[in-house]
Amino acid sequence: MLKAVSAPTQQRFKLGRVGWSLISLLALVALWEIAALIARSRYLPGPWAVVEVMIREAEAGELWTNIAATLIRVAFSFVIAMFIGSAIGLALGKFKGADLFFDSWLIFFLNLPALVIIVLCYIWFGLTEVAAITAVAVNKIPNVAVTMREGARNLSKDLEEMACVYRFGRWKTLRHVTLPQLAPFFAASARSGLALVWKIVLVVEAFGRSNGVGHQLNIAFQLFDVPMILAYALAFVIVVQIIEMAIVQPLLARANIWRR
Amino acid sequence: MAPLTQPLSIRIDKKSFPAVGGREQHLVLKGIAFDVEPGSFVVITGPSGCGKSTMLNIIAGLDEDYEGAIDFGVDGNPRVAYVFQTPRLLPWRTVYENVALVLPDGDSRIANIPELLQRVGLSSEAAAYPEMISLGMQRRVALARAFVLEPEFLLMDEPFVSLDDPTAQALRELLVALCSRRPTTVLFVTHDRAESVMLATRILRLSEGSASIAQDVAVPLSVADRSSRAKVLAEQHRIFGDG
Repeated sequence: MLKAVSAPTQQRFKLGRVGWSLISLLALVALWEIAALIARSRYLPGPWAVVEVMIREAEAGELWTNIAATLIRVAFSFVIAMFIGSAIGLALGKFKGADLFFDSWLIFFLNLPALVIIVLCYIWFGLTEVAAITAVAVNKIPNVAVTMREGARNLSKDLEEMACVYRFGRWKTLRHVTLPQLAPFFAASARSGLALVWKIVLVVEAFGRSNGVGHQLNIAFQLFDVPMILAYALAFVIVVQIIEMAIVQPLLARANIWRR
Repeated sequence: MAPLTQPLSIRIDKKSFPAVGGREQHLVLKGIAFDVEPGSFVVITGPSGCGKSTMLNIIAGLDEDYEGAIDFGVDGNPRVAYVFQTPRLLPWRTVYENVALVLPDGDSRIANIPELLQRVGLSSEAAAYPEMISLGMQRRVALARAFVLEPEFLLMDEPFVSLDDPTAQALRELLVALCSRRPTTVLFVTHDRAESVMLATRILRLSEGSASIAQDVAVPLSVADRSSRAKVLAEQHRIFGDG
């Protein structure tokens, strides 16, 4: 009896990951529509109204130029933050003295509010692109440094000795022994870093730039133009999601191929 | 490259570990001095924790914080391979890559890898990653990695520990076969007495505590003798005084 029951369950139709995501997203949109219908307010437009604004903005070209401006800032500050943050983190993980000395600095910068860094950068460097990118990068560097420091502390002594006995040399050791061990830490800080950079870039743009998604949101806020706010937010989320799925996840999957 | 031409001299007057985290400074090795004849298979045995691995690390040049000298004489800086207690493979590189990586770039010995992998029975695992194969297989990869170098001097630290008997025995036979292909000088650490008699041409027993050499005996068994269980047992009894 039991066998007869268990056999067909294996044949059962399985909904894939994509299927489940689609269903859950549709549910979210439906919930939004219902909420909009109940509220009947110009401050809570339904999904369709928002999509209309999005299409209008896209046709005017505004949407793309602003998103492109934001993406370029994200790219620059992300690369700079990852580079400098990794260098600091590796140095701290490797040299105990430096770690003892700079640890309190790191804690200070970790807890410094993003807003303070942004405002100070604009005051000190003017309302310039350099100030904007610096502000975002400085916000992100301490997080990267902390994660990479953990990675550097966790480097395997066993593998280092193996590389030493077999005379790998500097370059080979770096490429085949050290960097692969740091890769998960790098991936973790890149992922959380990207999420943080997306958000801070918008604030920086709202404060002191004349283009970008953040600037556009600021204008819409002053006009209380909720459909516009949601249209940009949605477009932005979609772009970020595409980057995540098309670039970040395939890279991670490739890097993890050796794992059991 | 040519095999070692003269005995290498190992002298460790004193090796101690500094006090760390509540543990007092302690002396691990003292007054160790012996020569290793070229082509000999020297087994170092002794109670666990007596400093065998520390000694190998010093000889391998991984630990330079000791008093004494390791002198390879005219052979200078011989090609050393080290098979560790754990396989120590790079998990993010395939079996083949793990073996190939110990060769300098553009080295012709890379052509020997397929044959070597076949010799250790891993032909079909060449493209597998270490975490996807068994521990016994990983140990065989570590053996292949050591032998692809055609080492003049081979260090082994309990390379077959935590394997079941038949697997360990098969690997020992493989080791003997690989060593016989070209003159190789081996320093092999184990606490397995039967294993030491089966493999060694000479056994060094370390004493307990701050270890020094307690006994230094030759093992005059022929290759055929070594596969005879009775002869190995008799020899084991002669050396260790047990059965």
